[in-house]
Amino acid sequence: MTVAESVKSAVGLADTPGTALDWPEAKKRADQVRKWGIEQLLANWRRAKGKERDALLWGDEVEYLVVAVDDEAKKARLSLAQAEILKSLAEDEANWKSGGSNSIQNKEHDGEDPPHFHPEFGRFMLEATPGRPWGIGFKDLLKVESNMKWRREVAKSHMASNEYPITLTTFPRLGTKDDYIQPYYPPSGAALRSQFVPDEIANPHIRFPTLAGNIRSRRGRKVELNVPVFKDTNTPEPFNDPTVNYDLHNWPEDDDVRNGAAKEGHVYMDAMAFGMGSCCLQITFQAKNMTEGRKLYDQLSPLGPILLALTAATPIYKGFLVDTDVRWNQIGNAVDDRTREELGEAPLKNDRWRIPKSRYASNSTYLSQDPRLRKEYLDPDLIVDEEIKKRLIDGGMDELLATHFAHLFIRDPLVIFSEDLEELDLNKADHFENLQSTNWQHMRFKPPPPEKDDIGWRVEFRSMEIQMTDFENAAFSIFIVLVTRAILSFDLNFYIPIQRTTENMETAHARNAVLDRKFYFRKDPFSPRARRPHPQSSTNGEVSSATSSAVNTPPPSPPLKPVESEYELMTISDIINGSADGSFPGLIPLVESYLNSVNVDVETRCFLATYLDLIWKRANGTLWTGARWIREYVASHPAYKHDSVVSEEICYDLVKAVEEMSVKEGKHGSVGWELLRGKK
Amino acid sequence: MKLILSTSNLMTSGGHTVIRQASTEKSNVELINSLRSNFQTAQQLSSAETTTTPRYRAWTRETEDGLYIPAIDFAQRGLAEEKAQYDITVKLFYLPGIPASRRCAHTREAIDLVLKELHVDSIDLLIVSFPGILFDAEDDSEEEVESDTGSEEPDDFDSMIRTWRVLEDLQEKGMISQLGVAEFGSERLARFLPHTNVKPSVDQINLKDCCVVPKSLILYAKSENIQLLTHNDCMDILPIGTTRELLGPGEKGAGILASTPDADDGIQGDVEPQWVVKYTAVVKDRGVVENKGYFALADMGTCVQARED
Repeated sequence: MTVAESVKSAVGLADTPGTALDWPEAKKRADQVRKWGIEQLLANWRRAKGKERDALLWGDEVEYLVVAVDDEAKKARLSLAQAEILKSLAEDEANWKSGGSNSIQNKEHDGEDPPHFHPEFGRFMLEATPGRPWGIGFKDLLKVESNMKWRREVAKSHMASNEYPITLTTFPRLGTKDDYIQPYYPPSGAALRSQFVPDEIANPHIRFPTLAGNIRSRRGRKVELNVPVFKDTNTPEPFNDPTVNYDLHNWPEDDDVRNGAAKEGHVYMDAMAFGMGSCCLQITFQAKNMTEGRKLYDQLSPLGPILLALTAATPIYKGFLVDTDVRWNQIGNAVDDRTREELGEAPLKNDRWRIPKSRYASNSTYLSQDPRLRKEYLDPDLIVDEEIKKRLIDGGMDELLATHFAHLFIRDPLVIFSEDLEELDLNKADHFENLQSTNWQHMRFKPPPPEKDDIGWRVEFRSMEIQMTDFENAAFSIFIVLVTRAILSFDLNFYIPIQRTTENMETAHARNAVLDRKFYFRKDPFSPRARRPHPQSSTNGEVSSATSSAVNTPPPSPPLKPVESEYELMTISDIINGSADGSFPGLIPLVESYLNSVNVDVETRCFLATYLDLIWKRANGTLWTGARWIREYVASHPAYKHDSVVSEEICYDLVKAVEEMSVKEGKHGSVGWELLRGKK
Repeated sequence: MKLILSTSNLMTSGGHTVIRQASTEKSNVELINSLRSNFQTAQQLSSAETTTTPRYRAWTRETEDGLYIPAIDFAQRGLAEEKAQYDITVKLFYLPGIPASRRCAHTREAIDLVLKELHVDSIDLLIVSFPGILFDAEDDSEEEVESDTGSEEPDDFDSMIRTWRVLEDLQEKGMISQLGVAEFGSERLARFLPHTNVKPSVDQINLKDCCVVPKSLILYAKSENIQLLTHNDCMDILPIGTTRELLGPGEKGAGILASTPDADDGIQGDVEPQWVVKYTAVVKDRGVVENKGYFALADMGTCVQARED
């Protein structure tokens, strides 16, 4: 089972990984890693391109913050107990496999494999995936939510009694001056060189400090996150982040703030942990073959920003309310390894390109050999490594796919183990994954792992924010699964120029973007009637993308309209629920129409109806987003002074409320009803 | 003369049928819209051959089965993959006011068309919808709805049993794997089951907007191993008036029927829909609906009793 494998930061965490190369030693081997990675990709692609008829399997990944609540001091802290918790969980799982009894046993989950837990970048994080991937069997869809709840229970049972797994995207007071972690470590270590967080905040596995350190070294300074502060009535004007220390002289990077790294009007952060310490909800699908995988990659791409805005849950950073609602760009900035030359701040001398996006960003390519993919949808300024592209094309790969990988491979590998560079093994994918898994785009196209025959081509949907309850997380996971089935069944077309998706991603950051902003979206998601022609007329009308070889060749008729006329700005409500005038059908009506075409049992349909209802009401504003609820919670807290500051006391109460919400789920007027039920 | 109306594959037909319906409304919009749009497309494709008179002859085809509206080329490929990959569900609507004695022939006709269309020799599930049975989730007592004219008897129990024998026969021949009924409440099921040799494995009910299913039905279905499935089909799926409008000479019509009783621009006589069949082919492991469509059969003739509806 690796459909939902952990992919965020690490390829795999061997116990004795070897010698990680520091920058600039790693830089010297970058070309070799890329070259070998491409050879591994080609070998794997040749082996797997004909893989057919894989079933739909999918997996969700839920990430948790582990918080320790101190009721006496009225403080909530992040617990750095990841390693102990994971060890204890692993023992339990081993025990389960050998038939012993333990905390995993649970009557309700008879026949289900125990969930998997994984380490994450933050030492205060856990990631959990289902023990086995889900299928499309509707009975499976019913199990998702209870399985998520089970994961939470299992995780909790391996924690101290005052510790809880909570699903906030970020810890509200990460990086403040108080003792927000337990055990406490003072800030500023050799790897992160942050003035706000200690190196101990990150997973101690050599891969993680090396990753953080090499991003910083490659970049030539610390990463830089400036998030606009939310200007409340008592917020100082101008606002200069009062937690920034301009007088530190421990590391050369302490100069960053003296060189203007912290911007007026913004909350300033300086370490990878501020981004990669965020929790997300990611869904991975297995496609029936490569063709279907490429189609899903393309068609889900425009939905990324929409679902980001709809799941918005991140209004607080480092103890301040901020003016953005989502985590996305903060993570992008937290792992941005681009040099000044690549950023366009200095003339190109040593580097090869100016690169417009961070390694963590919205995606920039379309992959599908789909006649509906017009060349106008592609980014004309896409940066690709032409040499790599040529090698892939010479190796037999088609231009679109070669372009995609040659784009991902413009980056340097960040973590290189010298032992891995002794011999190229074409039956492995380690060098390929080195680049692939450190390109954190909002879609990821995943070739089958060479060592596992039973896994097919997969697509990962990565933009969603984690929600505070498992009900919501199940709802959004299942919604996306149903959308993929509607896409394939109706042969939907969501193509827009990919730069519009990049713009939408920015738009999704705005406070309350879900209701206040509009997003570029395709007006007509249906393909022109591709149908059985009249017997006297010619050729195959049946659509079969599998046999289509045409790339970027426009269909013969009718003549295509200008690309600009194909899309327009729409509200999220129009996109999700359908426009009032009926011109856009809406994703939920499409999903319902799909469900009306398949045999669904009564119980499942009623379950699904509650999920679709949640999403429907989030989209039209009847229910609040997590971000809005958190804002309202802070604003109405008696200790809040309307100065944007989320104090320790507020943070404590908020964490307690979120924990309570994950159990009571807003039922009977309990906390969180505004975002879950809509009525007390 | 028989008229064989078809929609072609709705999944790839441009989304005229994806409409969020008011949840209280039981609608046959999907069928009517897709028939109309399929007729229009066929008319447009044939517009080069306008010399034919009457015009409809250019885009329909008369065979020994009847008049195909529009013409169908059954030689076209059916499903993309082999049959074993699919779940094929067929729902047959017997229409109100049509004598139950015709159902044997109607069932054969309908299934044959679906098999020909999909290029398969059997289907996985056949659900039959008897006219006049309306399941009411609130009290689990199906109403017996009078047909529109009030001149017909509600479908009686004996004719249902007789119809079921036909289905059992087809099931025995291997043409159908499983049988199902629609809109049966627990009482009717309990009355029905003792008379069957092959039990229905599915009972399909319309939940409207609420998810209230009578406990008695849930328990009974469970004990009898009958799956309760949902649908949102219309009860009276193809009324005569609608059929006349669809095929008639007017602006919204397909120009199949003659404009006046003495005109030669179309077929003379009265139109009477006999049955409607809906079919879906879903790829099993992937939950993808590859093909979905309808056939409807209407009789033309002067012998058909003219009725208002």
